[in-house]
Amino acid sequence: MEDQEILVKFADPASRNLAFNQLVRKYQQKVYWHVRKMVVDHDDADDLTQDTFVKVWNHLGNFRQDASLYTWIYRIATNECLSFLSSKRRKFFLPLNDVSEELAAKMEADPSLAGDEVELKLQKAILRLPDKQRLVFNLKYYEDMKYEDMAEVTGTSVGALKASYHHAVKKIEQYINEPS
Amino acid sequence: MNTPFRLDDHPRRPQPLAPPPDGYFDRLPTQIMARVQPAASQESTAFGWLKALSLPLRTALGSVVVLGGFAATFLLNQSSAPTTPAHLAHANLASVPRTEMVQYLLASDERVSLSDLSELPVAEQDMVGEYLNVSPAEVQAALDEQPTEPSYL
Repeated sequence: MEDQEILVKFADPASRNLAFNQLVRKYQQKVYWHVRKMVVDHDDADDLTQDTFVKVWNHLGNFRQDASLYTWIYRIATNECLSFLSSKRRKFFLPLNDVSEELAAKMEADPSLAGDEVELKLQKAILRLPDKQRLVFNLKYYEDMKYEDMAEVTGTSVGALKASYHHAVKKIEQYINEPS
Repeated sequence: MNTPFRLDDHPRRPQPLAPPPDGYFDRLPTQIMARVQPAASQESTAFGWLKALSLPLRTALGSVVVLGGFAATFLLNQSSAPTTPAHLAHANLASVPRTEMVQYLLASDERVSLSDLSELPVAEQDMVGEYLNVSPAEVQAALDEQPTEPSYL
Protein backbone atom coordinates (compact mmCIF):
# COMPACT_ATOMS: atom_id res chain seq x y z
CA MET A 1 0.00 0.00 0.00
CA GLU A 2 1.38 3.41 -0.95
CA ASP A 3 1.95 6.03 1.74
CA GLN A 4 -0.72 8.32 0.30
CA GLU A 5 -3.28 5.51 0.38
CA ILE A 6 -2.32 4.70 3.97
CA LEU A 7 -2.86 8.34 4.95
CA VAL A 8 -6.26 8.50 3.25
CA LYS A 9 -7.41 5.29 4.91
CA PHE A 10 -6.05 6.38 8.27
CA ALA A 11 -8.13 9.57 8.08
CA ASP A 12 -11.29 7.45 7.83
CA PRO A 13 -12.19 6.01 11.29
CA ALA A 14 -13.66 2.92 9.62
CA SER A 15 -10.34 1.94 8.01
CA ARG A 16 -7.92 3.51 10.48
CA ASN A 17 -6.79 0.30 12.17
CA LEU A 18 -6.26 -1.47 8.87
CA ALA A 19 -4.23 1.43 7.49
CA PHE A 20 -2.08 1.65 10.59
CA ASN A 21 -1.46 -2.07 10.57
CA GLN A 22 -0.24 -1.76 6.98
CA LEU A 23 1.97 1.17 7.95
CA VAL A 24 3.58 -0.83 10.78
CA ARG A 25 4.19 -3.82 8.51
CA LYS A 26 5.72 -1.58 5.87
CA TYR A 27 8.14 0.29 8.13
CA GLN A 28 8.77 -1.96 11.13
CA GLN A 29 12.02 -3.49 9.88
CA LYS A 30 13.51 -0.18 8.79
CA VAL A 31 12.60 1.46 12.10
CA TYR A 32 13.77 -1.50 14.17
CA TRP A 33 17.20 -1.68 12.51
CA HIS A 34 17.63 2.07 12.59
CA VAL A 35 16.97 2.01 16.32
CA ARG A 36 18.88 -1.19 16.95
CA LYS A 37 22.07 0.19 15.42
CA MET A 38 21.81 3.13 17.79
CA VAL A 39 21.07 1.26 21.02
CA VAL A 40 22.57 -2.17 20.11
CA ASP A 41 20.44 -4.13 22.61
CA HIS A 42 17.42 -5.94 21.12
CA ASP A 43 15.13 -5.33 24.12
CA ASP A 44 15.85 -1.60 24.10
CA ALA A 45 15.33 -1.53 20.34
CA ASP A 46 12.02 -3.37 20.74
CA ASP A 47 10.77 -0.85 23.33
CA LEU A 48 11.86 2.14 21.26
CA THR A 49 10.39 0.73 18.05
CA GLN A 50 7.02 0.25 19.75
CA ASP A 51 7.19 3.72 21.31
CA THR A 52 7.97 5.16 17.89
CA PHE A 53 4.88 3.60 16.32
CA VAL A 54 2.66 4.62 19.23
CA LYS A 55 3.79 8.21 18.63
CA VAL A 56 3.15 7.80 14.93
CA TRP A 57 -0.41 6.68 15.77
CA ASN A 58 -0.93 9.64 18.08
CA HIS A 59 0.34 12.27 15.65
CA LEU A 60 -0.38 10.88 12.20
CA GLY A 61 -3.67 12.80 12.09
CA ASN A 62 -1.66 16.04 12.28
CA PHE A 63 0.94 14.97 9.70
CA ARG A 64 1.08 17.87 7.23
CA GLN A 65 2.78 16.02 4.36
CA ASP A 66 5.38 18.75 3.85
CA ALA A 67 7.85 15.90 4.41
CA SER A 68 7.53 12.30 3.25
CA LEU A 69 5.94 9.82 5.63
CA TYR A 70 9.14 7.76 5.53
CA THR A 71 11.41 10.59 6.75
CA TRP A 72 8.79 11.71 9.29
CA ILE A 73 8.73 8.25 10.87
CA TYR A 74 12.54 8.15 10.85
CA ARG A 75 12.61 11.50 12.56
CA ILE A 76 10.37 10.23 15.37
CA ALA A 77 12.49 7.09 15.73
CA THR A 78 15.67 9.17 15.78
CA ASN A 79 14.34 11.46 18.50
CA GLU A 80 13.33 8.42 20.54
CA CYS A 81 16.87 7.02 20.25
CA LEU A 82 18.62 10.27 21.12
CA SER A 83 16.30 10.86 24.09
CA PHE A 84 16.88 7.29 25.29
CA LEU A 85 20.67 7.59 25.15
CA SER A 86 20.64 11.03 26.72
CA SER A 87 18.35 9.95 29.57
CA LYS A 88 20.52 6.90 30.12
CA ARG A 89 23.52 9.15 30.70
CA ARG A 90 21.56 11.45 32.99
CA LYS A 91 20.03 8.57 34.94
CA PHE A 92 23.31 6.86 35.71
CA PHE A 93 25.53 9.98 35.58
CA LEU A 94 27.54 8.30 32.85
CA PRO A 95 30.00 10.22 30.69
CA LEU A 96 29.91 9.77 26.93
CA ASN A 97 32.66 7.13 26.84
CA ASP A 98 31.02 4.92 29.47
CA VAL A 99 27.85 4.58 27.40
CA SER A 100 30.00 3.74 24.36
CA GLU A 101 31.85 1.14 26.43
CA GLU A 102 28.56 -0.34 27.61
CA LEU A 103 27.28 -0.53 24.02
CA ALA A 104 30.62 -1.99 22.88
CA ALA A 105 30.38 -4.69 25.55
CA LYS A 106 26.93 -5.63 24.22
CA MET A 107 28.36 -5.62 20.72
CA GLU A 108 31.13 -8.03 21.71
CA ALA A 109 28.53 -10.43 23.05
CA ASP A 110 26.68 -10.38 19.74
CA PRO A 111 27.07 -13.82 18.14
CA SER A 112 26.97 -12.51 14.58
CA LEU A 113 30.29 -10.70 15.14
CA ALA A 114 32.08 -13.69 16.66
CA GLY A 115 35.34 -14.40 14.84
CA ASP A 116 35.24 -11.29 12.66
CA GLU A 117 37.85 -9.06 14.29
CA VAL A 118 37.78 -6.32 11.67
CA GLU A 119 34.01 -6.05 11.73
CA LEU A 120 33.99 -5.99 15.53
CA LYS A 121 36.60 -3.24 15.52
CA LEU A 122 34.57 -1.32 12.95
CA GLN A 123 31.48 -1.54 15.13
CA LYS A 124 33.44 -0.39 18.18
CA ALA A 125 34.81 2.54 16.17
CA ILE A 126 31.27 3.51 15.15
CA LEU A 127 30.15 3.36 18.77
CA ARG A 128 32.88 5.80 19.75
CA LEU A 129 31.30 8.51 17.60
CA PRO A 130 29.05 11.10 19.26
CA ASP A 131 25.39 10.05 19.06
CA LYS A 132 24.37 12.52 16.36
CA GLN A 133 27.40 11.79 14.20
CA ARG A 134 26.81 8.05 14.63
CA LEU A 135 23.25 8.61 13.50
CA VAL A 136 24.44 10.41 10.36
CA PHE A 137 26.99 7.69 9.67
CA ASN A 138 24.42 4.90 10.05
CA LEU A 139 21.88 6.59 7.79
CA LYS A 140 24.45 7.12 5.04
CA TYR A 141 26.66 4.06 5.32
CA TYR A 142 24.11 1.35 6.11
CA GLU A 143 20.88 2.74 4.69
CA ASP A 144 22.34 4.81 1.86
CA MET A 145 19.83 7.52 2.58
CA LYS A 146 19.97 10.64 0.41
CA TYR A 147 21.41 13.70 2.12
CA GLU A 148 18.19 15.61 1.40
CA ASP A 149 16.18 12.97 3.25
CA MET A 150 18.74 12.91 6.05
CA ALA A 151 18.31 16.68 6.34
CA GLU A 152 14.57 16.16 6.92
CA VAL A 153 15.22 13.43 9.49
CA THR A 154 17.86 15.27 11.47
CA GLY A 155 16.85 18.88 10.87
CA THR A 156 20.43 19.64 9.77
CA SER A 157 21.65 21.20 6.51
CA VAL A 158 22.92 18.99 3.70
CA GLY A 159 26.36 20.63 3.86
CA ALA A 160 26.71 19.97 7.56
CA LEU A 161 25.63 16.34 7.07
CA LYS A 162 28.23 15.78 4.35
CA ALA A 163 30.94 17.22 6.55
CA SER A 164 29.78 15.15 9.52
CA TYR A 165 29.84 11.92 7.49
CA HIS A 166 33.26 12.70 6.05
CA HIS A 167 34.70 13.30 9.53
CA ALA A 168 33.05 10.17 10.86
CA VAL A 169 34.70 8.05 8.18
CA LYS A 170 38.08 9.59 8.94
CA LYS A 171 37.67 8.95 12.69
CA ILE A 172 36.68 5.34 12.09
CA GLU A 173 39.58 4.64 9.73
CA GLN A 174 42.00 6.30 12.14
CA TYR A 175 40.71 4.24 15.08
CA ILE A 176 40.96 0.95 13.15
CA ASN A 177 44.43 1.75 11.82
CA GLU A 178 45.77 2.56 15.29
CA PRO A 179 47.93 -0.26 16.64
CA SER A 180 45.92 -1.97 19.41
CA MET B 1 53.43 -3.97 6.16
CA ASN B 2 49.66 -4.14 6.42
CA THR B 3 47.49 -2.12 4.04
CA PRO B 4 45.76 0.72 5.92
CA PHE B 5 42.07 0.10 6.53
CA ARG B 6 39.78 2.00 4.16
CA LEU B 7 36.07 1.93 4.81
CA ASP B 8 35.19 1.91 1.11
CA ASP B 9 37.18 -1.28 0.63
CA HIS B 10 35.51 -3.06 3.54
CA PRO B 11 32.57 -5.32 2.60
CA ARG B 12 29.45 -3.68 3.92
CA ARG B 13 27.11 -5.72 6.08
CA PRO B 14 23.53 -4.54 5.66
CA GLN B 15 22.75 -5.47 9.26
CA PRO B 16 25.83 -5.62 11.45
CA LEU B 17 24.09 -7.12 14.48
CA ALA B 18 22.43 -10.44 15.22
CA PRO B 19 18.86 -10.65 13.92
CA PRO B 20 15.97 -10.39 16.39
CA PRO B 21 14.28 -13.57 17.69
CA ASP B 22 12.40 -15.70 15.18
CA GLY B 23 8.92 -14.42 14.38
CA TYR B 24 9.64 -11.04 15.97
CA PHE B 25 8.41 -9.06 12.97
CA ASP B 26 5.28 -11.24 12.75
CA ARG B 27 4.36 -10.43 16.35
CA LEU B 28 5.39 -6.78 16.42
CA PRO B 29 2.35 -5.34 14.54
CA THR B 30 -0.02 -7.15 16.93
CA GLN B 31 1.85 -5.82 19.97
CA ILE B 32 1.80 -2.28 18.62
CA MET B 33 -1.90 -2.46 17.70
CA ALA B 34 -2.63 -3.69 21.23
CA ARG B 35 -0.87 -0.63 22.62
CA VAL B 36 -2.76 1.87 20.46
CA GLN B 37 -6.09 0.05 20.64
CA PRO B 38 -7.07 1.00 24.24
CA ALA B 39 -6.67 4.65 23.33
CA ALA B 40 -8.81 4.11 20.26
CA SER B 41 -11.58 2.30 22.15
CA GLN B 42 -11.63 4.94 24.91
CA GLU B 43 -12.05 7.60 22.28
CA SER B 44 -14.95 5.76 20.73
CA THR B 45 -16.76 5.09 24.00
CA ALA B 46 -16.36 8.49 25.60
CA PHE B 47 -16.41 11.28 23.02
CA GLY B 48 -15.78 9.35 19.85
CA TRP B 49 -19.32 10.08 18.66
CA LEU B 50 -18.45 13.77 18.59
CA LYS B 51 -15.98 13.14 15.79
CA ALA B 52 -18.76 11.73 13.66
CA LEU B 53 -20.50 15.12 13.73
CA SER B 54 -19.58 17.86 11.28
CA LEU B 55 -17.78 20.97 12.53
CA PRO B 56 -20.88 23.27 12.36
CA LEU B 57 -22.90 20.68 14.28
CA ARG B 58 -20.22 20.39 16.92
CA THR B 59 -20.11 24.20 17.24
CA ALA B 60 -23.89 24.36 17.52
CA LEU B 61 -23.88 21.59 20.12
CA GLY B 62 -21.27 23.44 22.13
CA SER B 63 -23.35 26.64 22.04
CA VAL B 64 -26.45 24.76 23.18
CA VAL B 65 -24.56 23.25 26.08
CA VAL B 66 -23.24 26.66 27.17
CA LEU B 67 -26.67 28.33 26.88
CA GLY B 68 -28.29 25.41 28.66
CA GLY B 69 -25.82 25.88 31.48
CA PHE B 70 -26.75 29.54 31.82
CA ALA B 71 -30.47 28.72 31.76
CA ALA B 72 -30.09 26.00 34.38
CA THR B 73 -28.11 28.36 36.63
CA PHE B 74 -30.79 31.03 36.26
CA LEU B 75 -33.63 28.61 37.02
CA LEU B 76 -31.87 27.14 40.01
CA ASN B 77 -31.25 30.60 41.44
CA GLN B 78 -34.88 31.52 40.91
CA SER B 79 -36.20 28.44 42.64
CA SER B 80 -33.83 28.81 45.59
CA ALA B 81 -34.77 32.48 46.23
CA PRO B 82 -37.02 32.94 49.31
CA THR B 83 -40.39 33.80 47.76
CA THR B 84 -43.86 33.73 49.29
CA PRO B 85 -46.82 32.75 47.17
CA ALA B 86 -49.54 35.39 46.73
CA HIS B 87 -52.23 33.41 48.53
CA LEU B 88 -49.95 32.92 51.55
CA ALA B 89 -49.23 36.67 51.65
CA HIS B 90 -52.96 37.43 51.71
CA ALA B 91 -53.52 34.86 54.43
CA ASN B 92 -50.75 36.34 56.57
CA LEU B 93 -52.09 39.85 56.10
CA ALA B 94 -55.60 38.74 56.97
CA SER B 95 -54.38 37.35 60.27
CA VAL B 96 -53.16 40.81 61.41
CA PRO B 97 -55.90 42.59 63.38
CA ARG B 98 -57.24 45.58 61.52
CA THR B 99 -56.83 47.78 64.56
CA GLU B 100 -53.09 47.20 64.51
CA MET B 101 -52.94 47.80 60.82
CA VAL B 102 -54.72 51.17 61.07
CA GLN B 103 -52.63 52.21 64.05
CA TYR B 104 -49.52 51.35 62.13
CA LEU B 105 -50.62 53.31 59.12
CA LEU B 106 -51.61 56.35 61.20
CA ALA B 107 -48.35 56.29 63.14
CA SER B 108 -46.40 56.56 59.89
CA ASP B 109 -48.23 59.37 58.14
CA GLU B 110 -46.03 59.12 55.09
CA ARG B 111 -47.77 55.91 54.25
CA VAL B 112 -51.32 57.28 54.41
CA SER B 113 -52.14 59.84 51.81
CA LEU B 114 -55.28 61.87 51.39
CA SER B 115 -56.32 59.71 48.52
CA ASP B 116 -56.17 56.70 50.86
CA LEU B 117 -58.43 58.54 53.25
CA SER B 118 -60.83 59.39 50.47
CA GLU B 119 -61.18 55.74 49.58
CA LEU B 120 -61.59 54.59 53.15
CA PRO B 121 -65.18 55.71 53.72
CA VAL B 122 -66.25 54.07 50.54
CA ALA B 123 -64.50 50.75 51.25
CA GLU B 124 -64.94 50.44 54.98
CA GLN B 125 -67.53 52.88 56.36
CA ASP B 126 -67.46 51.33 59.84
CA MET B 127 -63.74 51.73 60.22
CA VAL B 128 -63.96 55.48 59.76
CA GLY B 129 -66.17 55.91 62.70
CA GLU B 130 -64.45 53.33 64.84
CA TYR B 131 -60.79 54.29 64.39
CA LEU B 132 -60.61 57.82 63.03
CA ASN B 133 -63.32 59.29 65.21
CA VAL B 134 -64.60 61.36 62.32
CA SER B 135 -67.77 61.10 60.32
CA PRO B 136 -67.74 60.48 56.58
CA ALA B 137 -69.06 63.96 56.09
CA GLU B 138 -66.08 65.41 57.97
CA VAL B 139 -63.71 63.41 55.87
CA GLN B 140 -65.49 64.56 52.76
CA ALA B 141 -65.33 68.19 53.91
CA ALA B 142 -61.59 67.87 54.58
CA LEU B 143 -61.07 66.48 51.15
CA ASP B 144 -63.14 69.23 49.57
CA GLU B 145 -60.84 71.81 51.08
CA GLN B 146 -57.88 70.34 49.21
CA PRO B 147 -56.97 72.05 45.92
CA THR B 148 -58.37 70.23 42.96
CA GLU B 149 -55.41 71.12 40.77
CA PRO B 150 -51.99 69.70 41.45
CA SER B 151 -49.96 72.32 43.31
CA TYR B 152 -46.97 72.00 41.06
CA LEU B 153 -48.94 73.38 38.12
